[in-house]
Amino acid sequence: MIVTSETYRRSSRPTEQLRKLDPYNELFARQGRFRIDAEMVRDNALAISGLLVEQIGGESVKPYQPEDYYAQLNFPRRTYVADQGNDQYRRGVYTHWQRTFLHPMLKAFDAPSREECTAARAKSNTPLQALSLLNDPTFVEAARVFATRIMRESGPSVDQRIEWAYQTTLSRKPETEVANELRQIYDQHLAHYTGKKDEASRLVSEGNASVATDLPAAELAAWTSVARVLLNLHEAMMRY
Amino acid sequence: MFPIQNEMARRTFLQRGGLGTIALTSLFRGNDSAAAASLASGGLHHRPRIKRVIHLYMAGGPSHLETFDYKPEMAKYDGQPMPQSLTEGQPIAQLQGKALKVMAPQHPFARHGKSGLWMSSVFKHTTSLADDICVVKSMHTEQINHDPAHTFFNTGTAISGRPSMGAWVMYGLGAETQELPGFIVLTSEGGGQSQPISSRQWHSGFLPSRYQGVQMHATGNPVHYVGNPAGVGPRQQRDIVDAVSRINTLRNRELDDPEIATRISGYEMAFRMQTSVPELTDMSGEPEHIVKMYGCTPGDGSFGSNCLLARRLAERGVRFIQLYHRGWDHHGGVKAGVAKTASLVDQGTAALVNDLKQRGMLEDTLIVWGGEFGRTPMAQGSGRDHHINGFSLWMAGGGVKAGSTYGATDEFGYNAVENKVHVRDFHATMLHMLGIDHNRFSYKFQGLDFRLTGVEPAHVIHGILDSQT
Repeated sequence: MIVTSETYRRSSRPTEQLRKLDPYNELFARQGRFRIDAEMVRDNALAISGLLVEQIGGESVKPYQPEDYYAQLNFPRRTYVADQGNDQYRRGVYTHWQRTFLHPMLKAFDAPSREECTAARAKSNTPLQALSLLNDPTFVEAARVFATRIMRESGPSVDQRIEWAYQTTLSRKPETEVANELRQIYDQHLAHYTGKKDEASRLVSEGNASVATDLPAAELAAWTSVARVLLNLHEAMMRY
Repeated sequence: MFPIQNEMARRTFLQRGGLGTIALTSLFRGNDSAAAASLASGGLHHRPRIKRVIHLYMAGGPSHLETFDYKPEMAKYDGQPMPQSLTEGQPIAQLQGKALKVMAPQHPFARHGKSGLWMSSVFKHTTSLADDICVVKSMHTEQINHDPAHTFFNTGTAISGRPSMGAWVMYGLGAETQELPGFIVLTSEGGGQSQPISSRQWHSGFLPSRYQGVQMHATGNPVHYVGNPAGVGPRQQRDIVDAVSRINTLRNRELDDPEIATRISGYEMAFRMQTSVPELTDMSGEPEHIVKMYGCTPGDGSFGSNCLLARRLAERGVRFIQLYHRGWDHHGGVKAGVAKTASLVDQGTAALVNDLKQRGMLEDTLIVWGGEFGRTPMAQGSGRDHHINGFSLWMAGGGVKAGSTYGATDEFGYNAVENKVHVRDFHATMLHMLGIDHNRFSYKFQGLDFRLTGVEPAHVIHGILDSQT
């Protein structure tokens, strides 16, 4: 009922007048907009890449985590060993929860430390989030596996692939200017990685997932760059 | 109109950083003090004495009786019952129901410097600061267990969920750096029971989450994910960040979302941190005599190394720095314990103050050395229990009356009796030094105007400040 209502289906974009009259959207004359929760930021990247394991229930799992993170644990001393196989790609809600030392990516995106009940999570927008999405191996791996999908599942031309990749990430076709930006990063990075095969191979083998050795590494690396751009877009972590 | 809905919407709005966004968007532009401060309180209230605070947080509760509060007269009562008139009805932690017997100070004291400040013999280096510091001997607090007492010291209340003082200061003044977060926390441990410290202690509470402290790790990588992915060079990473920001900008024409500007600044800061953080922690350029002065191997996780890092953070414009040293909880073996823990923080402390001084930075820095509470004059076996009615801390730097003491405890070091300083008085004084009137520094949340100093009277302690302004 709520979802089909006229109110719910409104655009979240405020008109000049609405922004003035009701800056905080207390009157619900427009849809709300918010960043998706920490676990979903992870799930979203894994789902787009095709890595997400949708199994329900079971033991908690351990995604990649910086090696020295638990060295900071107050006590007792613990070691953290990231899971292999399917357990690496499960939803964020199944992530092992070390109280007050939750996974740094979840922490950066405002997952609570579980020291007390949290009725509503904060929604911050910080450089630590950018660092997670840019450099956390989970997201780099998701990007390079998404790149294999781009090369295998869409049409043969670069333009077709860009459109497919954008559509897969944001459920919408890219505007020409946006597509041009993506085309530019593809071209630049293809040129770069063609001359740097070693770097290309290192980028496209991040994480435990099998490496697509049948695809040319430089091309795959360039698509990985496109995929990284897409997974880092503001819209990719927002519900508008 | 609709009071309940409005209240809920405002809460949600605040929690999502709505109001903060206006001020926060400018956080990444460097000196955003005007924007943030005018939002909070109509501008800075008066000329500040200091630009930054470095809090050397002696976690666990250092015994004032073995460090800075000289009580020679206790020797004659050693082993005698404590006067009941003092202890009756007072809060007590682990000594509940036990016989309360006086334990004389375990270390000799001596006078130091021109000021003749008394310090215990456990300090070999801090003694060189006798003419720089003001020892406040009349501190008192309201919480007798570690975690709530830390919460009280950091937020002014034992109720969790309130902003820490560092977050408040960030909210009021912003940072002076675009390369690093403005509120940074480091921890070290050793010398006694290492009670845990929760990240709640540097949280932003109901203030926008961008103001919360960022914990850097004392060993290994200080910040997660500052390294580029394998096979990605700085040029390629720059390309990615630029493409993301350009597409975000293009899309903003359609979306009209102020968070996009914050997102773009966040990516800029992230990219800069990938360079600035390794540069910060690469201490190979520190001359040998400086490293020697701090008595550490840089990056070894020691308090000394953290002190050196704190100086580098201060130089780079970080506003609020907390160095927790967990190791002062001496329920047993207080004599050896205090000596041990003191030995781990002594040299770094002195080096930091002297180093800032020789660089001309001490005059606009406040250094605070102290714990969440003190320890009982009564013995707990060979140790001392938690104690909240009187304890010591010291301050140094910008406008603090150098080589002085303020306040006093009774002859047992039990109650602060002269010029008592409550934790909220300390907060008011610190804010005053930063140019902020604590009474006019508030944030609306859940229909209340919250202040760091709360609703009970808090006083700026002018007696510890020199008479300029």
